[in-house]
Amino acid sequence: MNYFLYQGCSLEAGGIHYTVSLKAVAKVLGLSLKEIEDWNCCGASISYVGGNELSVDVLAARNLALAEAQGGMDIVAPCSSCYIVLNKVNYKLQEKPGLLAEVNEVLAEGNLKYSGKIRVRHLLDVLFNDVGLDKIRSAVKKPLNGVQVAGYVGCQTVRPFGEYDSVEKPLIQDRIIEAIGATAVSFPNKMRCCGSGLFLTELTACYELARDILGDAQTNGGKIVSTACPMCQMNLEAYQKRMNKALGTNFNIPVVFITQLMAVAFGLSRKEAALDRLLISADPFLKAA
Amino acid sequence: MDQVVGPKYGSRGGAGKAYNQSFAREVYRNVDSGEEIKMCMQCGVCAASCPLKEKMDFSPRKIFTLIRAGQREKVLSSQAIMLCTSCYSCKVRCPRKVPVVDVMHGLAHYALRQGYKPRAETALFGQKFWGNIYRLGRIDEKDVALRYFLGHGLGQGIKLMMENKNMGIGMLWYKRMKILPERPIKNVKSLRKMLDKAKAMGKGGAV
Amino acid sequence: MDKKLGVYICTGCGIGESLDIDALKKVASKEFKAPVCKTHSWLCGTEGVEMIKADVAGDGVNTLSIVACSPRVKYDVFDFGPVLMDRVNIREQVAWVLPAGDEDTQMMAEDNMRMGLVKLNKSTPPEPYQAENLSKTVLVVGGGFAGMNAAVGAAQAGYPVLLVEKEANLGGFMNKMNKRIRPPYKELKPVDLEDQIKKVEAEPNIKIFTSAQIEKIAGGPGVFDVTISQNGSSTTERVGSVIQATGWKPYDANKLEHLGYGKFPNVITNVQMEEMAKNGKITRPSDGKEAKNVLFIQCAGSRDENHLAYCSSVCCLVSLKQATYVKEQDPEAAVYILYKDIRTPHQSEDFYRKVQKDGGIFIRGELNAISEDGNKNLSVEASDALLNETIQLEELDLVVLAVGMVPTSIDETALNLDYRQGPGLPVNKYGFPDSNFICFPYETQRTGIYTAGCVRSPMETAICAEDATGAALKTIQCIESTAIGSSTFPRSGDMTYPEFMMSRCTQCKRCTEECPFGAINEDEKANPLPNLTRCRRCGTCMGACPERIISFKNYSVDMIGSMIKGIEVPDADDEKPRVIALICENDAYPALDMAGINRIPIDPFYRFISVRCLGSVNLVWIADALAKGIDGVILLGCRKGDDYQCHFIKGSELANTRMEKISETLGRLALEPERVRVEEISINDYDRLPVILNDFMARIKELEPNPYKGF
Repeated sequence: MNYFLYQGCSLEAGGIHYTVSLKAVAKVLGLSLKEIEDWNCCGASISYVGGNELSVDVLAARNLALAEAQGGMDIVAPCSSCYIVLNKVNYKLQEKPGLLAEVNEVLAEGNLKYSGKIRVRHLLDVLFNDVGLDKIRSAVKKPLNGVQVAGYVGCQTVRPFGEYDSVEKPLIQDRIIEAIGATAVSFPNKMRCCGSGLFLTELTACYELARDILGDAQTNGGKIVSTACPMCQMNLEAYQKRMNKALGTNFNIPVVFITQLMAVAFGLSRKEAALDRLLISADPFLKAA
Repeated sequence: MDQVVGPKYGSRGGAGKAYNQSFAREVYRNVDSGEEIKMCMQCGVCAASCPLKEKMDFSPRKIFTLIRAGQREKVLSSQAIMLCTSCYSCKVRCPRKVPVVDVMHGLAHYALRQGYKPRAETALFGQKFWGNIYRLGRIDEKDVALRYFLGHGLGQGIKLMMENKNMGIGMLWYKRMKILPERPIKNVKSLRKMLDKAKAMGKGGAV
Repeated sequence: MDKKLGVYICTGCGIGESLDIDALKKVASKEFKAPVCKTHSWLCGTEGVEMIKADVAGDGVNTLSIVACSPRVKYDVFDFGPVLMDRVNIREQVAWVLPAGDEDTQMMAEDNMRMGLVKLNKSTPPEPYQAENLSKTVLVVGGGFAGMNAAVGAAQAGYPVLLVEKEANLGGFMNKMNKRIRPPYKELKPVDLEDQIKKVEAEPNIKIFTSAQIEKIAGGPGVFDVTISQNGSSTTERVGSVIQATGWKPYDANKLEHLGYGKFPNVITNVQMEEMAKNGKITRPSDGKEAKNVLFIQCAGSRDENHLAYCSSVCCLVSLKQATYVKEQDPEAAVYILYKDIRTPHQSEDFYRKVQKDGGIFIRGELNAISEDGNKNLSVEASDALLNETIQLEELDLVVLAVGMVPTSIDETALNLDYRQGPGLPVNKYGFPDSNFICFPYETQRTGIYTAGCVRSPMETAICAEDATGAALKTIQCIESTAIGSSTFPRSGDMTYPEFMMSRCTQCKRCTEECPFGAINEDEKANPLPNLTRCRRCGTCMGACPERIISFKNYSVDMIGSMIKGIEVPDADDEKPRVIALICENDAYPALDMAGINRIPIDPFYRFISVRCLGSVNLVWIADALAKGIDGVILLGCRKGDDYQCHFIKGSELANTRMEKISETLGRLALEPERVRVEEISINDYDRLPVILNDFMARIKELEPNPYKGF
């Protein structure tokens, strides 16, 4: 199973523990992830401020063109924002030959050309559909029995395309949580946006959204929140203290990547699972398992 | 006005705001995804699905009807068009398949270009974000944050930095932030050329 | 006929566990001397059915009592040909809702059996009514789009058709139409009226009468005698059934002065707009200049209690079509649509999308005022419900009022029926001929006469065509049912008919007045003259007749009266009241079955008797029941009034009126008026029904036991 890994900017910094744990888990599962050479930022959701539609499209298209030139394998994007942006532009280019021509005219400035043949996929899609739950189950050495995990999906992980999971009632992350022996708690807000698209600029709004999500996860029995998006992880975890201060709440919930839980269940070391990178330690809950 | 009839018999015309199409046409011509607004049937599912609806001065539904009514000023200075978090709830639920998120972003971009600053903070952040992309080809999280803080002026910038100090230290401590600045991507020059060209070719130019 | 009774008791589906089957058998063999009485643990299975069939074929059993589940299920399995049969329900009404092994449960099952066996005693096999000189011709009145489609439909199915049109040409309103919208609702289509007319003219089964009118229709289904006048002369033809497709007219815009009609020359109706488009150019009536700014006002007089209270369901689509005319004439023209709700049913929503895409501007709100300047430009002030603001539309060249559809039946009697109850089809509160609108859309209150197209309900052309086909099928069904002497809806297949013992008639006219279908004419001495092919077999006449001279072979005043007498009434000391529930077979009985299926407990002191309609309930049953010591009587029927659900239109209304007279009887017996109650129930009220029953029983238990017990 060979893929391009589109790491994205966040996975090199605030979400580095996603990269670390993903690479460790991929090794166990036999996934080969090759970095796209000289990739650039996808533009995320905020690029509309600086760029018009065409320049935003070009940012994503350049990565697609590079992938095509470097071998044409499927791109796995662990970051939901990267996944949505690359995928959105990819679909647009595949559906609108006029736009593709225009974009290629621009890409020619860097001697690049995109023909529309690349597939962009989210990590959860690959884990569920290519690797499969059976393989994940068989890799488990230390099942996370009794660990109550709130699998937070958020927005861009499945919306708007819903190509591998339901946009209103996604289940894949919960199935993976169950496959590694943990309990997936159901909580109504697991689909609600955490606001991370605006997290430096609309602080109050983001705090309130985060509070509703964490509160809901906790009320429904979640001890750890897991996610597959670095923006959500950052917003829900790194800002938790400031949110507590601003809203008078008292949360102290670890927020981890699904790959970190998998690494623990696969019996990998604390370092490989990147548990040492969490601002709110998940150790008390994972040790109990 | 010669004659007036109706339930309000005797009232003279001109009491209400005149409907005109010029702004709608302007939007269709200049705003990315702008023409999709035509298909809105005003059901309000977008408004009901929006996580930030309570913060918005006008819901997306109302923004669309204001555009059709020709209320340019209200729309372009509206906070709502820059409060979209891009969560796509509205888009997946819209029965008319209006790409609400893209329309909101298109409107925000157009408003900024026309000199409006619906949400100054987000506009500033977005500017620094784009600056990073243009300069490095990638985002350097700490760099964007610092430039954004200092973009408020030195005094306010330092205050903001202090507010974020603990988190920053935490990120450093847990090795989620590099001390050294990010290096540009290898072919950053050709990327810049591309962006310059796209700016010239597209519907709206970069700010 | 010598009856040989066979009683078959099923013990499956929990019946055997709930009841003492031997005791049930004794009711049959001891009390009713049934020569054959058998049980089976799966009566509806092959073995059970074969057992019964063998008895019918080999043992001469010709009167069957199937003591098992509700008659509403397994009717296809329990079909033994031309024998007398009754189904006794001890499953849904007894075993599934009452405690197993309980004394009261057993008593109810036994009483149900007694009533069923009395019913068989009092029934004789039906002999279908055969009218003579039956015709299978279909008369279609109205040669518009619906009428033409109905005629072609019936003709292609092999039935001769007479198509009568009052104008010189076929086509009706379509002659005025510019373009059509039809599936798949993506673009405007030509009207193609000529092709339609050619199709009708080419059909050998259709005889066309243009410039013709119906002078008179006498008789009934299968034997209608129709007098058609054409060019000053009249001919009479016999037909089997009739479709009225006389169409609609626009709501009178002269009543819409508040929208500027009649005041300002540039305010027109959608009909005028259509004619203008057909003539080539959309212009301002005031000066003939091309219209560039056009406003459509939806619901002009519609959904308005002062004008048309209903939605015509087509005006939105018509305005969308006409908006497209304007855009086709000039793509830069501004088209505004001021609406309450855009109602584009089913796929026609796609055309709404098209007009949106073309740049139509939709404003949800209502007009406040309309005015005109010196150049005859119009200006409209409206409250925009979505902006929550008052808005102004200026410099309008044309304002088009989307007026609704009014059925021609509102003031025309196109059929001139020679019926005792009048020449026209009875209409609902909006003026549309109706019957039970939900269950039988094409039916009218005159059997064998159906409506199609916009006289039935406002509709667009594509729906009209479907509607016409539906009505044509109904006429054929009626013709063929009449031919074998069977009833039409809802008692399809019923071979009985009302028989009048005329020697005892007192000419009181109740039956001729109350028949919901106008089936009974009168002679000059007020003797009833039943037209049996018009009859729907509801029994309303039977319920009405004070002399009890009207009966069916398997439904009569005597029969139900005897069933009531067959119920065992315990002594007052036993504290086991008995209440009779007369339940309508159309909605109340199925609701009771559903309560049974959902295992909702029901009071065991009820005895349920199914009736064809509450209209067939004769007061004497109630008087007799109370005189026998029954503690109360409840009648369960369909909703009455403007939004009636009664399957025979007036039955439940009449039952209510008659019940007002019951207090007199109760007074004579010195009994409390609360002992009799009428309740309305609809088919989905299965959860409410037990509540109603429990509530009534509680009231009865508060009263002293009926003092007539044991007399």
